[in-house]
Amino acid sequence: MAELFAKYNYWIYIALMMIGLYAMIAKGNLAKKIIGMSIFQTAIIVFYVSIAAKTGGATIPIIAHGHEGAEHAVRVIDYVNPLPHVLMLTAIVVGVATLGVALAIAMSIHQRYGTMEEEEILEQIRE
Amino acid sequence: MIWQFDFIILALALVCAVASISLKDLLSAAIVFGAYSFLMCLLWTEMGAVDVAFTEAAVGAGVSTVFFIAAVLHTSRQVKPRRHGRFFYKVIGGAAALVIGGILLAASADFPTWGDPASPASTHVSPHYILHSIPDTAVPNIVTSVLADYRGFDTMFETSVIFVAGLAVLAILGRFGRRQRDEEPAEFAAVPIAGQSPIIQTACRIFVPFMQLFALYVVAHGHHSPGGGFQGGVILAASFILIAISYDLRTMLGRLRERLNMLFASLGVMIYAGTGALCLLMGANFLDYSVLHHILPATSPIMARSHGMLAVEVGVAFTVMAVMVLIYVNIASHGKSDKGL
Repeated sequence: MAELFAKYNYWIYIALMMIGLYAMIAKGNLAKKIIGMSIFQTAIIVFYVSIAAKTGGATIPIIAHGHEGAEHAVRVIDYVNPLPHVLMLTAIVVGVATLGVALAIAMSIHQRYGTMEEEEILEQIRE
Repeated sequence: MIWQFDFIILALALVCAVASISLKDLLSAAIVFGAYSFLMCLLWTEMGAVDVAFTEAAVGAGVSTVFFIAAVLHTSRQVKPRRHGRFFYKVIGGAAALVIGGILLAASADFPTWGDPASPASTHVSPHYILHSIPDTAVPNIVTSVLADYRGFDTMFETSVIFVAGLAVLAILGRFGRRQRDEEPAEFAAVPIAGQSPIIQTACRIFVPFMQLFALYVVAHGHHSPGGGFQGGVILAASFILIAISYDLRTMLGRLRERLNMLFASLGVMIYAGTGALCLLMGANFLDYSVLHHILPATSPIMARSHGMLAVEVGVAFTVMAVMVLIYVNIASHGKSDKGL
């Protein structure tokens, strides 16, 4: 039983990713598609961050008493893996910049066609 | 890790995700999505990813919610009910999600257990960073040293991507070749605008200087505590966005002119790339800050790496701040930069 639920966290990330993917394809409103894209992105980020976690008393990746020089030995097991944090930190900020671009495109579509609904835009394009 | 806490947060995040894509009112969907981001921030704090959580708190729960609300208020607030259902798209979307989700579920059996210290991601290159951050760079925050030194190229191009995204928003919504506004918006600072609450304006006026001071602290103290150029830049941008929301967009643009803002955006990328080029000119590799100890008031090549990181973090903060303000100004005013929300 414990083994069966040992990886439940991955299942929830996969469920979040599926929600995002479904919203991007099935929703007709452009704002809903953008929210779906952001949920998909968060699912990937939370996956990366969770593979950095370490059980057994590991703490945040800031060396304790580091400013006093490294007189004491640093043990790898005491600190969570910093590398996925770095990758995801920049990904979040790039994500909000691309979110801005997506919203700007949606707004200029709204300005031109007067609607955010995919079907109505397509109808106007076909006419 | 506390699994009960994780479980509650993850369950709430699932509920928020479903709610934000199924709500018909887009403003509510944006708010629920902000709550979802904040739950993620809590989850990451609990996993020990303090820098990531800090960024998400400033970006996901803060600035991106504001962008969403600004965009929704300028377009349509309600999702229109369908005349004919999107049955075909729902089938395709559901099938794609189920197939990809099923493949990933099958693969999850091969994933390492959550929090396994011997997982492949934690055993190859990351021990080097943990062990050498202090001896190599004298920076206790390993995330900062990996971000700005070991993986400096990566961060430089991420900063460039943010800069290009700002240019793209300007190209899509803004009007090029527009002259700087002729009339000065100075009178807005003294005269409260009808419809704006004096309580909010007074609170904002007291609050903003402390926010900006905190942002500068976050940039400068990123070597020793969670924070750095990305977080500090976003908080600095949030302080300007707060002025724009509580007063008026023109009041904010009176403080930070658009042309100056564009200058900041490009200055940040230039500081970053210029620091790298300076290293190149002094005979070392691109972004190898240790050679800067000849010109910096640093005692040793190790401290020079620490100081070089501070220089590029300042560059990152400039670009992030300017681009976030730029995106907000263009989305909130539909590219006209006049009245705002």
